[in-house]
Amino acid sequence: MSEFEKLKTVTRYELLKQFRRRRFYGALAITVIAVILTIGLYKGLDLPRQMGAPDTPELFAIFVTSMSTIAILGAVFFAGDAIASEFERKTGYILFPNPVRRITLVAGKYIACFIATAAILALAYLISTGALLGFYRRLPGGILGSFAIALMLACCVLSIAFTFSSLLKGSMGATIATLLTFMLIFPIISTSLSYAGYAPWFMPDYAGDAVANTYGVPLQQAFGGMPGQRLRFKWNPEPTLSFLVLLTYAVILFQLSIWVTKRREMI
Amino acid sequence: MDGSIVIEGLSKYYNSFLALDNLSLKVRRNEDVALLGPNGAGKTTTLKLLCGLLRPSSGTAYINGANVAEERERAVSMVGAILETPEFYPFFTPDETLNYLGRLRKMHGRELRHRIKEVLKLVGLERWANVRVEKFSRGMKQRLALAQALLHDPPILILDEPSLGLDPRGMMEVREILKEARKGKTVFFASHLLTEVAQICKKVAIIDHGKLRAYDNIAHLKKKYRSLERAYLKLTEVTI
Repeated sequence: MSEFEKLKTVTRYELLKQFRRRRFYGALAITVIAVILTIGLYKGLDLPRQMGAPDTPELFAIFVTSMSTIAILGAVFFAGDAIASEFERKTGYILFPNPVRRITLVAGKYIACFIATAAILALAYLISTGALLGFYRRLPGGILGSFAIALMLACCVLSIAFTFSSLLKGSMGATIATLLTFMLIFPIISTSLSYAGYAPWFMPDYAGDAVANTYGVPLQQAFGGMPGQRLRFKWNPEPTLSFLVLLTYAVILFQLSIWVTKRREMI
Repeated sequence: MDGSIVIEGLSKYYNSFLALDNLSLKVRRNEDVALLGPNGAGKTTTLKLLCGLLRPSSGTAYINGANVAEERERAVSMVGAILETPEFYPFFTPDETLNYLGRLRKMHGRELRHRIKEVLKLVGLERWANVRVEKFSRGMKQRLALAQALLHDPPILILDEPSLGLDPRGMMEVREILKEARKGKTVFFASHLLTEVAQICKKVAIIDHGKLRAYDNIAHLKKKYRSLERAYLKLTEVTI
């Protein structure tokens, strides 16, 4: 049996595990509510008129496909306990004494977490696409690019969560550490750099904001009145560069999580 | 390499704490050997090292000639193990759990389905095959642990206190299952229950503070110390 066959087996059963958990369906429900709420408020409050901007499908898409938070939360919830729980809940005593390499186990878990997160993101984009077609009879070309960046952002967060999950003893600790890193530490650094006039293009949170920057409408213009207006540097993540930045983080941190997991002992 | 399990000068430090001190012993094919010792003696550490869950600080362990540190996958493919008090994924049923583990051990299709039925029957869980493990008692999980250890019909069983946490009936049943399942296998198991050891094995390795104190037939130890209990107490430095 090749290692690839084992990878398929690990992925299949890890995915089954994800789909059996209530948190998957909770995340799905929250996603649906969040997207519908965004659409309802955009239309109900007539946001384009309030912003003094024309109501175009591009502007609507910027609002309804700003899924970076969903990508982050989805990835964190599925990945935070992926490795740590094997040690914390002692399930590793059943899994690890099998003739399968740790790299295969980590990769299988990663793919399963990615599929679960991607399913949630896909649902969000499907609803948004339906709304765009319903309201404007047209899809902005940037929606595919936005979806691709959202998926890469999910990979980046998964890799961060896997790194913490391989390093820390507890699943809760890994989940909180990932959330704090992405929603507190990174934004502090990015915002500080922006105020100082440096471009934080290399920061994952800044790069993640490119999900809303694929429609040809500069974010600065779309979110006029946001703190970015006062910045010396414009908050305008370039999509291709952002995609590559997220990919780099995803690859390096995923490799780090494998390296740590391979060396971790079941004490 | 002569012997199913060969341990040569195995030591393990946890930071500065020496848990296993230069342990050497050999378990021959189809032999049943118990690793006896008080809590913290190094029994579980030894078994974890044999299953590749820990890296030795020094020394080497071989499973059927395969160096555990260098050829971990090949070594553990010949082993069925129960370590500590194992937990299972609560969202899976025993059938799904064994399917998963069986596939990781190159089992497939009809052969796997047949073997799953067989081992679940052996451990008395056939009626629970499709019930999620989250509903299981400690004893039922221990039976499932035994089922997964036997699933691929390994030539070597490594068991860490297989009846731990079970009520007297459960302990008796696990011993009966082991009596049946161990035929034609090498069994190396840790315990501090002398009655259990005497019922299952002919040979014991007594360790204390990480050091091997004795490795002999139970009959010889009984003859020398008048009983296995006295041998155990004498060799683990407890005064009678």
